[in-house]
Amino acid sequence: MGAVTAFGWGLEPLRQALGGGRTGVGPFARFDHERQRTHVAAQVPAGPPATFARPRGWSRLAFCDQFALFAAREAVQAAGLSFPLTGSTAGVFFGTSTSGLLESERFLTGVWGGQGARLSLIAANPLNAPGDAVARDLGVTGPVRTVSSACASAALALEDALRSLRGGEVDLAVAGGTDSLCRITYSGFNALRAVDENPCRPFRLGRTGMSLGEGGAILVLEPLPRALARGAEPLAELLGAGASCDAHHMTAPHPQGAGAALALRRGLADAHVLPEDIGFVNAHGTGTPLNDVSEAAALHEVFGPRTARLPVSATKSIVGHLLGSSGAIEAVATVLGLRSGEAHPAAGSDPLDPALGIDLVCGTPRPLPKTTLAVSASFGFGGANATLVLAPWLSA
Amino acid sequence: MRRVAAITGIGSLGSYGRGLPALAEALKTGVPRLTEVDRSAGYHRTGGARLAALMGPQDLSPWVSVAAARRMSPTSRWVVAAAQMALEEAGGAPVREPTAVVMGTAFGQTVFTERLFRSITDEGPESASPFLFTECVANVPAGQVAIHCGATGPNLTVVEREASALIALGRGAREVEEGRAARVLVGAVDEMTPLAHAVLDRFGALARASPERPEQARPLDRHRNGFLASEGATVLVLEEEGEALARGAHIFARVAACGGAFDPSASRVGWGQGVPGLAQGLLRMLARGHRSPGDIDRIVSGASGSVAGDRLEGRVLRQAFGKAPLPPVLIPKAITGEYAGGFLAATVLATQALALGPCPTFDTADPEVPVVPYPGGSLSAPRRVLATSLAAGGAAAWVLLETA
Repeated sequence: MGAVTAFGWGLEPLRQALGGGRTGVGPFARFDHERQRTHVAAQVPAGPPATFARPRGWSRLAFCDQFALFAAREAVQAAGLSFPLTGSTAGVFFGTSTSGLLESERFLTGVWGGQGARLSLIAANPLNAPGDAVARDLGVTGPVRTVSSACASAALALEDALRSLRGGEVDLAVAGGTDSLCRITYSGFNALRAVDENPCRPFRLGRTGMSLGEGGAILVLEPLPRALARGAEPLAELLGAGASCDAHHMTAPHPQGAGAALALRRGLADAHVLPEDIGFVNAHGTGTPLNDVSEAAALHEVFGPRTARLPVSATKSIVGHLLGSSGAIEAVATVLGLRSGEAHPAAGSDPLDPALGIDLVCGTPRPLPKTTLAVSASFGFGGANATLVLAPWLSA
Repeated sequence: MRRVAAITGIGSLGSYGRGLPALAEALKTGVPRLTEVDRSAGYHRTGGARLAALMGPQDLSPWVSVAAARRMSPTSRWVVAAAQMALEEAGGAPVREPTAVVMGTAFGQTVFTERLFRSITDEGPESASPFLFTECVANVPAGQVAIHCGATGPNLTVVEREASALIALGRGAREVEEGRAARVLVGAVDEMTPLAHAVLDRFGALARASPERPEQARPLDRHRNGFLASEGATVLVLEEEGEALARGAHIFARVAACGGAFDPSASRVGWGQGVPGLAQGLLRMLARGHRSPGDIDRIVSGASGSVAGDRLEGRVLRQAFGKAPLPPVLIPKAITGEYAGGFLAATVLATQALALGPCPTFDTADPEVPVVPYPGGSLSAPRRVLATSLAAGGAAAWVLLETA
């Protein structure tokens, strides 16, 4: 796995932040936000470490492409693979919501301001750019597919990767997502009154919205026998995935969480497991009043009375909402939790919203049973929902 | 028993008009319907492209109410209308649920994104319209289709430039084949703003006039100098073949195989030269469908008039087919233009017997492109049609359709 978040370039800073329940949401400077309604976000710090061998053309890449490339290389190297990824039918399965929109904004500002603008800025705009950049960097020759389904994008990309591996289309999948902060999304979510003035507080009393973030996360997936045969140590098993649509409203979730519950059930069925097998949920948990109500309803619908004591993590309270990349970063956080045997605590200290009946992990990490399975959930605009069912890798 | 995805309905909107008959007529005449792009904002360069295959005003009220349309972006309107057209055509008894939605787009929601950012730039972020923001997210057309059709199955939007439509078709077919959906609405949608048109032109991607020739996309021709940008939407209905037959639905074709590959030698905005890898990818896809190039009766080429893209397309096809002759190669993008859903609709049309007019955009073979297009005339119904799309940036997608 590889990750780039507000805590830095690499998995290790993220691991430490998750363990400490420390938020990366705070003042930011990615763009001028003086006239915005809110003033916090989770911004990635400048530049990767000096030890990172920057590929040719690095400085011309969009921020989100840089996040993706760094995370992909970290993931591939951690998997014990070298690139170019020859000798396998490798594919890239990617999720993004805005891709190089930040750079497009700079292009448009230049055009409209009469100063002219470099075409290379708008070259970053296509939504397929980050996934293609990863494929190009890793020398991938198999299928490359990018999903842009708002906040469910990366989870749907991981689902696509799983299906592709199962069907034998690829034998190695580089899957994940990336997104960067930009003025359009920041202004848009503020216009919807969906951003908290403070770091977001999922499932807590007084929550008023999300906190936007940026970053990228990549997971390398391969069939278990292939991984074991080459001597790799699996980090976790992706047992199944589910997807659904609310078919209800473009931005508001279904009030009873019907679509989310459907995606959870489909994920469990795909993984051939029962609700009672799940011992840990990494929730979508945006912190908006309506989303958390809807998600809580879905969890109660699927897990019944057990929901009240089912450990729930809310990774967005720590890394912010990475939009199209959120499903990937939360899958990474879930795998880290299964590996360490602990569900990470949510950031913040406000009391929990008793009306939701959610057992949010707070304060310190919560130990998990060794064999417990986990669900990571992603729900997006347009009613797109996706869930991933993960199991810890228990070596023989 | 193996589940097979079959196409049972199609709705299409483009510069050629509404529905498959309108596209068939346009392909028969061999003349694209072109519109002068608004250049008043001054984005365009002197001597650059002036034309595009734009939608123009079209009455969508039979499929989308005026009140509902008012709450949608242009692409949402088009794709919802196309979905309703497709469902009407699929007709017959109701199908089982769930219905999935898989949409492809090259650039997402450009009109509203541009408009929203303009208001933020000119008037400040507090002027941002929630409606514009909501409708500028790339998957909004897919979401609107789900809402209007009650589709609670998987819902996703795929984005790989010129390959998006075929990737969507392949991804949708898999939902049926693997039993996650009883029905899938698969499609492609794109819109073309003056700014997007000007940017494509500045990249040298669009066809432009020369002293000798008028502005025209000339796929596979020696004098090609770019493609024709277009907008519109196409939606197909996919169902499991046996279930569709049982309810008496007409089947256009079944999806026999689909697959993709990537050319890492491609630049961010152009095509590479990775002929062997892409040819291998195409053969791999055919092999998964238990077919070989000799089984193909017709090719719907993604050749668009792009200098590098068409050269790559021709060479990949040539290498994949080896010394065997190629079946008739159709080049619908000369008429439909690039992006949107015209190519997808033409692919379905190509599974039928059809009459094609002489191809007015092709007159000189290119020695660097070892493929020439079908010269025009009547074609009987084929058994198998290969559709190909090589995208700028490196992605490639292929779909093999079989007639029933």
